[in-house]
Amino acid sequence: MQTGKRSGSVSGICCGLLLGWLVVGAAVSAAPPVSPEQTIAGSARCVVKLYGAGGVRGLEAYQTGILVSAAGHVVTVQSTVLDSDEIDCVLDDGRRYSATLLGCDPLRELAVLSIQGEDLPAFSWEQLPRVAPGTRVFALSNLFGVAVGDERVSVQHGVVSGVVPLDARRGAHEAPYRGDVYILDCTTNNPGSAGGAVVDWRGRLLGMLGKELRATTSGIWLNYALPVDEVEQGYRSVLAGQGTSPTPTAEAALDSVAMRFDPQLLGVVFVPDLLDRTPPFVESVRSGSAAAAAGLRTDDLVVAVNGRSVSSRTGVQHILAELATGDRVQFTVVREGSIVECGLGPRPALSRKP
Amino acid sequence: MRIVLPGIWSRGRWIAEMCCVACCLLFVASARQTVGQPAAEWSVAAAEEQAFRTAVDRVAAAVVRIEAAGVSEASIGGPAEAAPAAGPSSGLIVDPAGWVVTTSFAVPKDAKQAIVVLPGTPGGTRVVARAVGRDLARGLVLLQIEVPAAAAPLPSLAVAPRESWGVGQWTIALGRAWNSSAPSVAVGILSAMNRAWGKAVQTDASVSPANYGGPLIDIQGRVIGILAPVPADTAGMTMGTELYDSGIGFAVPLVDLLRVLPRLQQGETLSPGILGIGYSARDPFTSKATVATCRAGSPAARAGLRAGDTIVEAGGRSIARVAELRHVLAPLYAGDSVELVVERGSADGGKVRVPLRVELVAALAPWRRSVLGIVPTRTANKKGENAGETPGVPVAWVWPAGPAAQAGLVAGDSVEAVATVAAAGEAGSSGGGERLEVSNAGALAGFVGGLAAGTVVQVTVRRDGLPLELEMATVVAPATVPELVPVSEADPAQAVVEKLPAPEIAHPPLAVLPAAAPESPLGTPLGVLVYFGSPQGAATGAARAAAETEAVRAASAQWAAAASRYGVAVILPEPSDPQRWGREDIAGVARALDSLRQRRPIDLSRVAFAGSGAGAAMAWLAAEALGPGVRGVALFNAGLPRQATVEAAEPGRSRVVLFGTSGGQPVPRLELDSRRLEEAGYPVGMLPPAALEQVPAETLCSWVESLGVL
Repeated sequence: MQTGKRSGSVSGICCGLLLGWLVVGAAVSAAPPVSPEQTIAGSARCVVKLYGAGGVRGLEAYQTGILVSAAGHVVTVQSTVLDSDEIDCVLDDGRRYSATLLGCDPLRELAVLSIQGEDLPAFSWEQLPRVAPGTRVFALSNLFGVAVGDERVSVQHGVVSGVVPLDARRGAHEAPYRGDVYILDCTTNNPGSAGGAVVDWRGRLLGMLGKELRATTSGIWLNYALPVDEVEQGYRSVLAGQGTSPTPTAEAALDSVAMRFDPQLLGVVFVPDLLDRTPPFVESVRSGSAAAAAGLRTDDLVVAVNGRSVSSRTGVQHILAELATGDRVQFTVVREGSIVECGLGPRPALSRKP
Repeated sequence: MRIVLPGIWSRGRWIAEMCCVACCLLFVASARQTVGQPAAEWSVAAAEEQAFRTAVDRVAAAVVRIEAAGVSEASIGGPAEAAPAAGPSSGLIVDPAGWVVTTSFAVPKDAKQAIVVLPGTPGGTRVVARAVGRDLARGLVLLQIEVPAAAAPLPSLAVAPRESWGVGQWTIALGRAWNSSAPSVAVGILSAMNRAWGKAVQTDASVSPANYGGPLIDIQGRVIGILAPVPADTAGMTMGTELYDSGIGFAVPLVDLLRVLPRLQQGETLSPGILGIGYSARDPFTSKATVATCRAGSPAARAGLRAGDTIVEAGGRSIARVAELRHVLAPLYAGDSVELVVERGSADGGKVRVPLRVELVAALAPWRRSVLGIVPTRTANKKGENAGETPGVPVAWVWPAGPAAQAGLVAGDSVEAVATVAAAGEAGSSGGGERLEVSNAGALAGFVGGLAAGTVVQVTVRRDGLPLELEMATVVAPATVPELVPVSEADPAQAVVEKLPAPEIAHPPLAVLPAAAPESPLGTPLGVLVYFGSPQGAATGAARAAAETEAVRAASAQWAAAASRYGVAVILPEPSDPQRWGREDIAGVARALDSLRQRRPIDLSRVAFAGSGAGAAMAWLAAEALGPGVRGVALFNAGLPRQATVEAAEPGRSRVVLFGTSGGQPVPRLELDSRRLEEAGYPVGMLPPAALEQVPAETLCSWVESLGVL
């Protein structure tokens, strides 16, 4: 950037103004944007529309991606849209590129694409702490594919509702990622939104909009985003070539969601599982078992396992399955109108019995 | 922002100055854009964000997580695909002595307990809560917890007074279902007040099962209301959860809850208050609150309200429309009293205003329509008005061995007035002396239908020009199909089978229409039977044409004789998907009925649906969808469909249900279904088993005629 050193050769007033402008210009480039329009304009440059496979079984053939490196790396969600030889990537200025899939992180269901281009804008990875509920955000995405031409993606405004562990499913399948997500109070669970950017008012990338998911317990649609640190980890693991196979933790998570741990191994027999969600009432306790030693009794109602609330037998089985062998098991039960804690000791090895 | 000025120094002062001026202009423009007003925009936004947080902090300690304890999925609702199920939800501490309010979504009707997770410790502190009181009108539940000795004292709330609310103000919806360490936050504005007939305020902040039970607060952290799935009561949304996260959320005002909190703490269940009247109007937004029926034994009847009265004032407010009356009544509970003023026709032909005081009740016994056993001559008039010059309702025939027949009333008499004499049993507190000058069959049906069975009435009839007084007691409407229904001499050969074309209907249904028979003893207008057959599968090309010809022949063979004898138009709809009936076919039936009405006069008191097997399920669902205008449903070889909702019968909402079997096939759940319907107040009849695969056309058509019984 030039400064006004030779300003003596021009008229004083103009010169002063020029100097003033340059100073302001410098300040703006270093400081955060100062209007919503600026924030959005800056962020939208780094958000791309992706077009790929789809159209069958009513699945949409478009989603959103985020440019995270000037080398042309785009992060997005792993989905059927990417099951195509031709993935089109459209920038906010209308530039179109053909994208190549570099790899996927199956735990976070995140994919990294690459485009070849000049002067590509990108978000920078910032080491941001998790933001608090109530933080105002913008969500930028290719929702419903309404941005049909060369124009920018759509922008929604809302606040972060909460930072919570994801416990969700798509159809009958549970989402493998169990870490924290940002829940948003604007409706972002739209076709095409997945892979969109969530930014704060300074235009800093806070997270990436996730796929359309429902909460496991209530069945309500979730409006959520994967926090930026998780996005970055997923991105780095793909670049490091680890992304194509699940990490050990990911494997455990993927495995456990399909597994159930038989509580009889702890000496607990629950009431028969007649309904989809039978409440976990204890039917009987085997004498001499860990459950008996913990003081668990017939008719106790289990309301939490290791602090996580459960409302059904299968819920208890799933949480037990997610623990590692040897992890301490703690049941919180309701007995005669009071809460009673029962420590059942270490969890035995996982039984492969479904 | 970068600026490069090449060439200034080499091209001289003139260019430099020009550039400089341009720069100045640019500067002014850019300064306006970047550091002027927009900066203020962000500072306002940042200040608001800070204000949201401060407000949230003020009330956060009172927002708790609610977990179900020992509630099975089946008692909560359908599968998650159809509707949100009760996962963890939220609640609000409304009294530091251990009182927590939540919604019946989190703690359903039969649940006696729940788990409250108090914030303030890592992972929260679980305590068992007892469901003490319920507000069924607003879907709220009051829980009581014992505060653990180790826990911090429970917080108390700041209440936003009603005067402080303004549409457009900031509102923040809080919950704690996701996570026990921080409440969830959704921001919006107050969208409206007095929603759900005065029971809730509306916000555009995201409201979902996750924050039901949590507070809606203002930007000062004062509580406006409790977020709840209040049914919007329109467009078929009856659960209130349909609108979650849609930008349409509701909250029950805290000030309203605090008024009844002592009663809930005493263990009371507060129910919506019921008056016990039916209105003559269909559309509550355009019609006066004129009473069509007044349930025997209801609060309205006890207070002296009568059929024909028009309610013109309620709770001190003047009432011009049914909707306004609902606004006054809906927020009230059973046990509340309301002052009404009704306008009533007086003996001298004028109108008098009668003040009444009514105490509302929680429930009425299912209504069972009372009748005298007379069947009026058909009329195509909407209100059942007699087409002739003379007043009164002419009688086409009398129900065999019914009260009217036993009292000596005969076909050809004209009913001119009905008056109650005395009532049997305690229900008849309407007492004697209630009198209706009969102007049309609709009014007569409303008057008689609202009387308790066993009420003795004096019926004034005109026979051969002379008045005659007959005394008889009302009975519950019969469900049987009587024999000896008078028949028309119309020639079945003259009956026509034609299509009933209607706009947007791909497969117009066939209709069997009897020849116009002016001499029919029943009267000229037609009764209507819509018969849903079993889907036949698709035929194409020449086969399709042949199938159509065959369908016309079969329709004629099966229905022409019965339709002609009883003066009934038989509509035979086809499913739009040849393999199955679907809900989308209901609109087609409605269009076909409209189309029929344009061609021939129809008696609206004699419209029935029938079907066999899958067609029977369709008949029931179509009747449910099209409302009380369908007076009877006959189901052959089928029980009620699983989706059936059987609401308690009310005046204007009841229908005769007939079950029948053919070919000796047993129908599962039939007894259960008929008991369910009877308990809800519907007349239920069982037809004798029919021969193999034979549609009992005669029985059905005579039944359609008999539906007109009063």
